[in-house]
Amino acid sequence: MMNNRRNRKGLTRYCLLVSIVSILLSGCWDRREVNDIAIVIAMSVDKEEDGKYRLGVQIPLVSSMGSLSGGGGGTSGNESFYVDSAVGKTLHEARAILQTRMSRILYFAHYRVVVIGSEVARSGFSKPFDIISRYPENRLTSYVVMTKGKAIDLLNAHPHFERFSGEAIRELIKAVTIPVSIKDMAQMNITPGIDTFLPVFDPVNTQPKGDSKEIEGTGFAVFRGDKLIKIYKRSEVAGIRWFQSYFNPFSFVIEMDDSGPISAMVLKGHAVVKPMIRQGRIHFDIQLYASVFIPETLSPLDFNDKSTFNEVERRLAEKITKKVDFILNESKKHRVDPTGLGLTFAKRYPKLWEQKYKKRWEKELPHITFQIHSNVQVTNIGQTTNSLMKEGL
Amino acid sequence: MGNWTEQQKNPLTDRSLEVCDLIELEGVPISLELEDNTTFLERMFSDSSDFVLRKFQLKNSVHAIAIFVDGLISTNEVNEALKTLMVLEDGSDQIGVIEEALLPVSQISRVQDYKGLLQAVLSGDTGIIVEGNREALTLGIRGADTRSVNEPEGEAVVRGPREGFIENIRTNTSMVRRKLKTPRLKMKSLVVGRKSNTNIVVAFLDGVANSELVDEVTHRISRIEIDAVLESGYVESLIQDNEYSPFPQVMYTERPDTVAAALLEGRVAIFVDGSPMVLLVPTTFWMMLQASEDYYERFQMATVVRWLRYMFLLISLMTPALYVAVTTFHQHMLPTTLLLSIAAAREAIPFPAIVEALIMEIAFEALREAGVRLPKTVGQAVSILGALVVGQAAVEAGIVSAPMVIVVSITGIASFTVPHFNAAITIRLLRFPLMIIASLLGIYGILIGLLVIVGHMASLRSFGIPYLSPVAPMSVGDLKDVLIRAPWTELENRPSFLGVEQARRIGPEFLQKYHRAEEESQNKEAKERERYDE
Repeated sequence: MMNNRRNRKGLTRYCLLVSIVSILLSGCWDRREVNDIAIVIAMSVDKEEDGKYRLGVQIPLVSSMGSLSGGGGGTSGNESFYVDSAVGKTLHEARAILQTRMSRILYFAHYRVVVIGSEVARSGFSKPFDIISRYPENRLTSYVVMTKGKAIDLLNAHPHFERFSGEAIRELIKAVTIPVSIKDMAQMNITPGIDTFLPVFDPVNTQPKGDSKEIEGTGFAVFRGDKLIKIYKRSEVAGIRWFQSYFNPFSFVIEMDDSGPISAMVLKGHAVVKPMIRQGRIHFDIQLYASVFIPETLSPLDFNDKSTFNEVERRLAEKITKKVDFILNESKKHRVDPTGLGLTFAKRYPKLWEQKYKKRWEKELPHITFQIHSNVQVTNIGQTTNSLMKEGL
Repeated sequence: MGNWTEQQKNPLTDRSLEVCDLIELEGVPISLELEDNTTFLERMFSDSSDFVLRKFQLKNSVHAIAIFVDGLISTNEVNEALKTLMVLEDGSDQIGVIEEALLPVSQISRVQDYKGLLQAVLSGDTGIIVEGNREALTLGIRGADTRSVNEPEGEAVVRGPREGFIENIRTNTSMVRRKLKTPRLKMKSLVVGRKSNTNIVVAFLDGVANSELVDEVTHRISRIEIDAVLESGYVESLIQDNEYSPFPQVMYTERPDTVAAALLEGRVAIFVDGSPMVLLVPTTFWMMLQASEDYYERFQMATVVRWLRYMFLLISLMTPALYVAVTTFHQHMLPTTLLLSIAAAREAIPFPAIVEALIMEIAFEALREAGVRLPKTVGQAVSILGALVVGQAAVEAGIVSAPMVIVVSITGIASFTVPHFNAAITIRLLRFPLMIIASLLGIYGILIGLLVIVGHMASLRSFGIPYLSPVAPMSVGDLKDVLIRAPWTELENRPSFLGVEQARRIGPEFLQKYHRAEEESQNKEAKERERYDE
């Protein structure tokens, strides 16, 4: 009993000693307070003419973000963020140079958007993205976009709605384009049978006579391997949306012969691609499905009329077929495959793919044939069946 | 107990007995000479103004004395008893005859020695010594002032009985007896404390509670040697298994229905005179998270509330530690916008997160402690002051960040969801080491801390029952009263991990009939619907 108690006392003393020592010796712990870090929320990568990389970072000035404490002060005006950049042979060298003029530790675990400039896109994005797989503070879920000029210019734009342009780009990516994360990009890059595409964003002036730079999603860039092939306008490559796992709604306009334009918004859509071998060539039978909402029409057409309705649906189908047709023809022409036809083929004919096409898919692309059939359903033509502004309701 | 004829002490010659504890009077005989007794008692109770020694004569002129403590007896009834002896009844001077034939008092007993006599008298009985008798009588005519039965403040319920225990042990046992009117309900009486001679009652259901358990409890209590037991907490600390654990291994309650329920589960209750808190053993950790109301409300609600408590127990234990760990080590775990908000709030704060957390938590604990001890009228002022100073002013002055205030508030609220106060204190206490280890090692540290806590809990035992049972060791059948609160029709057996001797508590025939009736009513309904359809 006594012995037990003495042991216990010894144990207590030992524990106390260990905890006191661990507190006193804690000079080199790797803790860092949130007010000791500079949170990078967007990053840009440019290639300079001498082959070095310019790393741009966008950092929110948290002290001016308005908190209850009110203090902090000392920052310039109403700026809620600032952008700085440095040049280095590698991105990490650029980071190190950047760090030398920052009083807080650069913290990369929170960037939500990486912008790559056109020069990087042209010369290949793989090299600068090497750091992604090595450096622990990286997020595979952050989005990648391309810009036509210098990437850092996009970070410097001042969109009005969000506090940071990085945030604005992120929201825009999710709203109007097909989001591509670093993970998606890497997957598209290394998977044979599908090629990388990236949304393109550019700083533009507000219209008609703008003085501030807003950010606009202007199109899509298509890559072969990691090198840029062509940039398309956004409306040109809408067809690519049918081949994504998640369909992002978009709208377009059709003209009915002489009656006036009709706006159509595609709410849902998916494609069923059936690869087959026809006369020794690869053939794709593509069924497109779309449900469409008509938000506006300037034509006097009466949608209650069955035949008119069918006609509108037919025209919509035609237009959608044309859109997809365009992107597939471009694929054949430029020998790139952003829609992933090769992948679909590989899933259907794995052995054939492995033996014959995997290595030379790019050469095979111009020879493929395809047939597109669109099934369009107008599911919604608005609250009232006809325009309120017209007689004869 | 001892053989008192052998070690007889003479109160008249052994002067040391005049200043002594009751236990030393064991076996000291009552003298045949009344004069000797009177002298002895008068010397013993010199300077005791509340002790009354009344000399009188029986109707047949035999001398006698009545002794009692003023304030503990009911004066009117003692007068009645004396009247009977002095005026009305004429008969014997034999104590046996007086007891059986003369005194119309319902509670009366004979004692042989001074220990028994004085024990009874100091507890409130009236002692009567008659000339020429070796035995004395004690009349159980007590009348001390006690608090009336009130609503239990520490364990209030919305639905359920509103009576709580008081300081009088007899009232307390009677409250339980009223709930369990069965001869199986046993109440063993023990006395503990050299100076306090506190009455302790060990209650259990014979044939339900494990008899080894009852023996163990009785044994542990009877071996206690201490000079006074002022509250059941003394007993708790002297009979528990592990004194150095922060976890309470004996539960207390001030609700008779909780005691009755525990007895029915096969536990043992320990009543301590002078304390409105009754101890229940063996205690498991889950008991601390259950309220009596769980069994009175509908089972769905009770289940949800239980899970709410489990959740908030963890919140109460870990929130400050997690906040410290995440803001100083794992900023990548937060959503970006939340991180920016926290960063903005912390921008002007001069302290690291751990210091901030310690300041706030300690201030909060101090505030709570002050609130408990202060008179109710002042309490409100303190809480206003605390809310203003600790909350708003500290944030505005930039000493503490607003998120930290939120964290502390949530922690505070969470700790109040634990129904039993002693478990809540444990959680409050364990929060601090967790916070410190989180500030040194981050979430890794929190995990280490939790492992140590859980490991310790798993090693604890309360009267032989593992502290975490029925979860660890797992007893699947009993989980329906821990993970959920199953409806009463499913709780047909008592918890098996307690080793109860009579398992069923709901009759199997009733259950059969119950289920059949349910089926029939459903069938009937279906038939009616069919008829309606036709």
